[in-house]
Amino acid sequence: MVVTIKECIDKTDEQLVLLTLKNQEYYLCLMKRYESELLNYIMKISNGNKQDAEDILQETFIKAYQNLNDFNLSLKFSNWIFRITHNATISAFRKKKIYSQAISWEEKDLDSILQSTLDVENTNIQKLSYEHVLEIINRLPLKYKEILILKFIEDKDYRAISDILHKPMGTIATLLNRAKKAIIRELKKEGIDL
Amino acid sequence: MKNISEEVFKKIKKENIKPKSYRYFATKNYFIWFLFGISIILGSFAFSMILFMFRQLDWDIYHYLGDSFLKTVFISLPYLWLIFLILFLGVAYYNFIHTKRGYRFRFITILVTSLIISTLLGTALYFNGFSENLENVFFQKIPYYNKLIYTCENQWMQPSKGLLAGTIMEAGISKNSFSLMDFNNQHWEVNIDNTIWKGKLKTSKGLKIKLMGKMEDETHFTAIEIRPWKGQKKFTQ
Repeated sequence: MVVTIKECIDKTDEQLVLLTLKNQEYYLCLMKRYESELLNYIMKISNGNKQDAEDILQETFIKAYQNLNDFNLSLKFSNWIFRITHNATISAFRKKKIYSQAISWEEKDLDSILQSTLDVENTNIQKLSYEHVLEIINRLPLKYKEILILKFIEDKDYRAISDILHKPMGTIATLLNRAKKAIIRELKKEGIDL
Repeated sequence: MKNISEEVFKKIKKENIKPKSYRYFATKNYFIWFLFGISIILGSFAFSMILFMFRQLDWDIYHYLGDSFLKTVFISLPYLWLIFLILFLGVAYYNFIHTKRGYRFRFITILVTSLIISTLLGTALYFNGFSENLENVFFQKIPYYNKLIYTCENQWMQPSKGLLAGTIMEAGISKNSFSLMDFNNQHWEVNIDNTIWKGKLKTSKGLKIKLMGKMEDETHFTAIEIRPWKGQKKFTQ
């Protein structure tokens, strides 16, 4: 039985998972829901190469389909699929030994991080160029970058980040705090008065 | 833009990719919990042995040896079992964080909880005599086990430092002495002129005792205090 997108609209992710296990056609709806969000996420925590990101996403979707019975219905599907995406991305880039060096960010994403980390009214910060801020963020270790992306760009709460990164919520809070401090430290190193 | 969802969907159909069965994941999950449980139980064995080692030693004689209490503790620590306890707690932690929601708990929470369970179970095992039996098995079956741990025997077989232990072989050699064979099968003539006897002891053949006193020469020992040898089935049986 072919399933149309219309049939999926009013269904939750978790309902679609259950339906997929009975009829694989529903999986297309789930993939379409997350395709662009996950592709952006992969590109941000990887080096921004779209071709690589698409390959990782394909692998992610297949892996998620194969592991669908492992999904715990009491958790959120979005966190679960983000977790698989995160692992697949890290694994792919480890294999290629090309850890993320340059992240493709939109200006509003960088603003979002700076707003949450610093005083945006600070005129010294406002004078910073997009490239300069990007360079500073790219200097951060991956563990800080990924947490900043999930919190301020993907807008995930602590519970969701905990489920995606498989770390306790207390550790997430600590890492986020350290990531903010790391940005401030980098800005000070650049001689920017905060 | 490439339609990834459609491509993946075609691939799933073409290659007839199926989700792994629910039973596969359930079994995997149960196995992780099983390993966690086993690690906790083995940890409790290790803890019961640590407790046994500590309880069998006499902690009131360190000043007699001229050592500080800390030095005595340092010498007496059952390192082998402590290593096993740490190892099993590590394995328990590793398995727990790999359960479905294990990652939500902090390292310290998992570690302390595992330690508390192992401690409680280990204490219960100790009071059931399990650790004493286990030690006897290790003594008999594991070569060099006695070299790896500091036992009551190690503590008391230091005649030059005034500590001796063994079995009375012959009582009444004279009014104030008896013959003793220590745990290294060496014979001693023990002088008990001014000896304090701890516990309701009578000089009788076959009695296992601990002696505090002074080594006079290679075969003579003057006892200041004599205590009964408790526990340690390997010596009393």
